[in-house]
Amino acid sequence: MSLLFRNRSIEKGASSRGRLPWWRRLIMVPVHHAQQAIASLGELWRNPFASFMTMAVLGLSLTLPSSLYVLVKNTSTIADNWQQASEVTLFLRKDLQQSEIDTLKTQTELSEGVKSVTLIPKEQGLKEFKTQSGFGETLDYLSSNPLPDVLVVIPAESHRSPQRAEELLNRLEKQREVAYAKMDLDWLNRLQGILNLIEDILGALAVVLCLSVVLIVGNTIRLNILSKRDEIMVMKLVGATNAFIQRPFLYTGVWYGIIGGLVAFLATALLIWWVESAVVELTELYETPFQLNGLTLGELLIVWLVAVGLGLAGSYLAVRRHIQSIEPE
Amino acid sequence: MIRFEQVSKTYRGGHQALSHVDFHVQPGEMAFLTGHSGAGKSTLLKLISLMERPTAGRVLINGHDLRKIKPAQVPYVRRDIGMIFQDHRLLMDKTIFDNVALPLIIEGYSVQEARKRVVAALEKVGIADKAKHYPYMLSGGEQQRVGIARAIVTKPPLLLADEPTGNLDPKLSMEIIRLFEEFNKVGVAVLIATHDLGLIARLRYRTLTLKDGRMINDGLEDGEL
Repeated sequence: MSLLFRNRSIEKGASSRGRLPWWRRLIMVPVHHAQQAIASLGELWRNPFASFMTMAVLGLSLTLPSSLYVLVKNTSTIADNWQQASEVTLFLRKDLQQSEIDTLKTQTELSEGVKSVTLIPKEQGLKEFKTQSGFGETLDYLSSNPLPDVLVVIPAESHRSPQRAEELLNRLEKQREVAYAKMDLDWLNRLQGILNLIEDILGALAVVLCLSVVLIVGNTIRLNILSKRDEIMVMKLVGATNAFIQRPFLYTGVWYGIIGGLVAFLATALLIWWVESAVVELTELYETPFQLNGLTLGELLIVWLVAVGLGLAGSYLAVRRHIQSIEPE
Repeated sequence: MIRFEQVSKTYRGGHQALSHVDFHVQPGEMAFLTGHSGAGKSTLLKLISLMERPTAGRVLINGHDLRKIKPAQVPYVRRDIGMIFQDHRLLMDKTIFDNVALPLIIEGYSVQEARKRVVAALEKVGIADKAKHYPYMLSGGEQQRVGIARAIVTKPPLLLADEPTGNLDPKLSMEIIRLFEEFNKVGVAVLIATHDLGLIARLRYRTLTLKDGRMINDGLEDGEL
């Protein structure tokens, strides 16, 4: 593009000057990008220490949120397992006929959000209590069975969250035949609360760390730009656009992200490997087989994309501010 | 080619570098711009290459008013002007080849496509054998030739040189000037700022003289303008 000399190619003395056809220019765009990307990588090698510091900061900053994420994910899995066992126990009034109990059982089975209902007649309840409590024969001295008939309701999949389960509980409790209903919701609520809290902390932490990463990358790129001040001036003098000058710096940011993301992945994997044996030991004590889940491939990709995004954002911030301000003098 | 109309330039802080400068350099003309240090030679060149903007008046290149050039268009204007500096302004960590190829790469040439032109430009200034060297390995005169090769590699219709012979002895200076003459012979307009009056005296070219920011002699006989 020649602004001042529209017919520059037919200017006297410049007749041999050929323009590149547009399709060649189009093909050259990705080629140039690739060349500049590789050149930026080479540039990083020239100053490996400073570059690696920035990449390490980027990577380690992402390690904390991603490790916390693994923690939350695994805790959620455990909590889900426990929630699946959650059941609503309906203690029935003692003055009911057997037929009323059967009707209630059928009714409950048909009501919304119920997966299955098991009746534990009071005799069976007493028998179980005898064997499990250790009171044994002592209970024989009771003149009558003090236990009520019990319906154990397993909520359907859709009604297992603490909130929905509680709704179900309230609904079932309203029935005339039910003396009272019980579900140990409190600990479930607490666990959910703790999980929510950790998730919130995780989110806030991630935002703060990401911001600091952007600033750190931005600062590194800024120093890069300032150290190449003279070079940038020369490039501007021979007609380089800001976009052209910016590109290598943006690629540097991308490389920071790519390698920083790798650092984050390795550090997270190391951390998980480190705590895994301890976790397995702990869960063995509880006699529940448990497998610690690391980051999946998809999640890894997300961490990587975030890292690259942060690197790019940081360099963009620096580039935008500083490349424009450098003018040849 | 270059036309100044009542151009004044006052720098921030009140220093008036140019006042009411009028002149016109024809297409294909070669001219010297002279004056003592601080007379405004560099400022005048900077106004042409859009490193500075005039405070008043207007500068036209090939009939285009530079006031209408937006900041984003400045790089494209500079691609039409070959600029040569006293301090060469080379990229010190790049080879001579890369330095000369830079304007072509910026225009979107691949290295392979640029190679032929770069070699031709280096041959023209007589340092084709130094392509793989780095600037610090070269003498001042050779570095200046690299600067010239870079300026002409895109075959711009206009060459500006700011004290191109500033650090060179008379013999080398003359060689550099001969180079400019060669480009001028194929139709390139050349404007050379220099305070080397001895050099100018040996050549018969139009000489524009600045004094304290005023054009005291535009090198033309009366009535020729």
